[in-house]
Amino acid sequence: MIRDPWWFRALRGFAAGALILWLILPLVPLVIWSFARGWRYPDLLPQNWSLQAWEVALSGRSGVLESLWVTGLIAVLATALAVLIGVPAGRALGLHRFPGKAAVEALILAPLIVPGIAVALGLHAVFLDLGLTNTLAGVVLVHLIPTLPYMILVMAGIFANYDPEIEEQARSLGASPLAIFRFVTLPAVLPGIVVGALFAFLVSWSQYVLTLVIGGGRVLTLPLVLFNFATSGRNDIAGAISILYVAPGLVVLILTSRHLAARPAFAAGVR
Amino acid sequence: MNKRTTLALLASALFAAPLGARADTSDGASLIGQNWEAVVAAARGGTVNWFMWGGADNINAYVTGYIGGVLKERYDITLNQVPLTDTAEAVNLTLGEQKSGNADEGAVDMIWINGENFRTMKQGKLVFCGYTSTLPNNALINWNNPAISNDFGVPVEGCEVPWSRAQFAFARDSATLSDPPRSIPALLDWIRANPGQFTYPAPPDFNGAAFVRHVFYFAAGGHGALLGPFDAAKFDVAAAKTWAILNEIEPYLWREGVTYPTSITQLNELFANTEVALTFDYDPAQFGIAVDAGRFPATVRSYGLTDGTLANTNYTLIPFNSPNKAAAMVLQNLLLSPAAQLEKARPTVWGTVPAIEMDRTPADVQAEFAGLPSHPSVVPAAELAPLALPELQAGWISAIEKGWIENVGR
Amino acid sequence: MTQNLRIALMLAPAVLVIGLLFGGALVVALLRSLDTGDAGFSLAAYARVLANPDFLPSFALTFHIAFTSTILSAAFGVGAALLIRGSGAGRGAMTFLFQLNLTVPHVVGAIGMLYLFSQSGSFARLGHAIGLIERPADFPALVFDPHAIGIILHYVWKEVPFIGTIVLAQMQAIGPDHEASARSLGASRWQAFRHVLLPLILPGLLGASAISFAFAFGAYEIPAILGASHPQALPVLAWRSYTATDLATRPDALAMTVVIALLSGLMLGAYLRAARRRG
Repeated sequence: MIRDPWWFRALRGFAAGALILWLILPLVPLVIWSFARGWRYPDLLPQNWSLQAWEVALSGRSGVLESLWVTGLIAVLATALAVLIGVPAGRALGLHRFPGKAAVEALILAPLIVPGIAVALGLHAVFLDLGLTNTLAGVVLVHLIPTLPYMILVMAGIFANYDPEIEEQARSLGASPLAIFRFVTLPAVLPGIVVGALFAFLVSWSQYVLTLVIGGGRVLTLPLVLFNFATSGRNDIAGAISILYVAPGLVVLILTSRHLAARPAFAAGVR
Repeated sequence: MNKRTTLALLASALFAAPLGARADTSDGASLIGQNWEAVVAAARGGTVNWFMWGGADNINAYVTGYIGGVLKERYDITLNQVPLTDTAEAVNLTLGEQKSGNADEGAVDMIWINGENFRTMKQGKLVFCGYTSTLPNNALINWNNPAISNDFGVPVEGCEVPWSRAQFAFARDSATLSDPPRSIPALLDWIRANPGQFTYPAPPDFNGAAFVRHVFYFAAGGHGALLGPFDAAKFDVAAAKTWAILNEIEPYLWREGVTYPTSITQLNELFANTEVALTFDYDPAQFGIAVDAGRFPATVRSYGLTDGTLANTNYTLIPFNSPNKAAAMVLQNLLLSPAAQLEKARPTVWGTVPAIEMDRTPADVQAEFAGLPSHPSVVPAAELAPLALPELQAGWISAIEKGWIENVGR
Repeated sequence: MTQNLRIALMLAPAVLVIGLLFGGALVVALLRSLDTGDAGFSLAAYARVLANPDFLPSFALTFHIAFTSTILSAAFGVGAALLIRGSGAGRGAMTFLFQLNLTVPHVVGAIGMLYLFSQSGSFARLGHAIGLIERPADFPALVFDPHAIGIILHYVWKEVPFIGTIVLAQMQAIGPDHEASARSLGASRWQAFRHVLLPLILPGLLGASAISFAFAFGAYEIPAILGASHPQALPVLAWRSYTATDLATRPDALAMTVVIALLSGLMLGAYLRAARRRG
């Protein structure tokens, strides 16, 4: 076995440390700001500390908690729809070959390739006529556009490694289609569904421009509220909101860190 | 209630017709001249979507906290404040709704507005007009003052209701800059002598555009010749000089003028962190608010210019297709009330100049108003008032904005 | 039920949703951009957009942002994946932070970058504390600057974990055997990577890079927070144009978005084809 030279190992250690530091760095001033009462140049740390930003952020009048709820609701609804629509589509793409498959694949992937702004404005014109602008339903629908492709991509990868023979055998033993789905298909693809759903949820959770354009400022999700506070000079409240925004992801990550290890099946689905 | 208000109420009572409490009060014509009690009854339990510039947190707090609270407790009306980066977004929304034939289900119930945006809406017949005398507190407004009955040269004619008055002022940190330039020519000299210490937000930011107009007045040799409708010949002469001045000082600005702050909030951040030495605002009360919040050092002092600064009134209006007109009218009446205007005048809340005549309010309110402490960082309105410059008509304003973007911003 | 019918039914909801919403949006944008109200259809809006002196600088800036950040993110992403795959020390922390970064929304990252890299931000204050700089103006201009350095830094911060996670998953699926055999035959570490591993991970790398490029090209909130006043990134230009009060400019804004969609499609197609030919 070849042993790495000492300088290589040192370089690697340094790179790892730099990477870890770099990943944490932008979050640090946000945390500090949330506890600051004014923090001006050239102070490295705030001279006055205060919990006022947290009081405002957690109070009813700032709309932060309400928008946290709205953001979560939209993400859950969009993810649920993405699962319902994406699993069958992923199965079709992963298991079967059929005429026009390339065209369908291109259509499915197109929303990931075309920049969001190009879609958002045209969509606003469509939704305006349909009366869906400024509504929660409209925003949920619109969130499907960036989330569905991820879901289908993951499921196509899962189904590509899936052997439908098992279903055949179960059917030949007399199992009903529903039973086959519940006891054969679902357990096999569930890990993929979880990964896809997580991706879909994250995309909806952090979505900004689609919510802004279609929600018209009336459907206030957390990124919009954060943007508004940050651009109205309240850096302290922006810091508090940022932490509230990142916290759920952090908690979920800690609780499920085992299941999120890189999955070979997911990789196979990505071209 | 004084005699005038009572008489107004009695007169409108003659036209009283019973109005059941309806959720949808999009029919504005039926509300005009109504008995105020009937309007309140129609509004009860409803919602108002108030679209307003959201770039100052203390204003948002006053609106959602104090105003929203009173509205809910007293009238059971829910206030939904929609913060905007630019008031034009709300105008645009209503314009779009008009174009698609939406005449009674608009998303916007009220807009905080003045100037070009008001002109666009009034000319486009996007405004609910003619109802203002129905508001009891309308009597507190001095409509004989041309600065109130005209919004940037456009007659108000019952289409909007004033909210606050404002006069442009500058600010600096007196600890580092004890003697700031106090006129436009002095400022230009100071900029050249102190490179990188000054900048202004790029138009169409409201405050940035106002600063450019100050330079425009200076380039035109005074505002006298500019009042009145837009005159292309006069504009071209003054504009050429203005762009020459602004382009000439560009290399001495922050970042050498390669980029400008995109909002007054950004300029204030630069000022707070000593990246620039001067800032300004239409609403000098904001300097006091910023000091109290710890954003600015306590040694900040604001001041006017010897050659005058722009003064104007800002208003609220109701779009033609608002479905909650009664609730919006109740909100407007509340905003004009002595208590709300007094609360707004407190330096710790906002500190802005009332739009109503304080000598028409009850004696106790007047006494409290007179006794309000002035914030050391906020130049008193009375000091600025003698040097108030009138605003130009909206035609000039948009031409100046467009001209800056094309000649200086690029 | 025939096989093909069943496949069609499974695909139908997805195709309908994406076709109607996404496709419909592009079609409507195209139609409205051609519509001049009473005068029927014309390409006037497109002529105006291409003649607009702000459009080409904005396009060039946006391309620069997307291209530079994607190249850097791809390089560092692969490097980070190699780091995580190989090392023992810090591996858990790096994986955890990668995944945490995926959950941090772009808006939060952009605001954090602003607080770090502005001329009066944390790094500038650090410089002041150790005596390197005296005034904010002495610190290099990294945000609101014409080269969009701050914006690129943000995208690199966000896309390295994204690309890195996908590439890492591929590496783990491929396994170490290919490289091990190459090295046992005398290949250096670099040669094993360049000629054995890289071709195998290239498809996933390209796909992830394409997605990153598209996002960086079309995102609004990051240049709105970190960008200069002129030239503005294309999404900012398009949105501000769309929300301008003069409704007559709306066809221009929609024409802009159609041009953005067309150009990004062409650029990505060219990039993918060129990369496939080389790889």
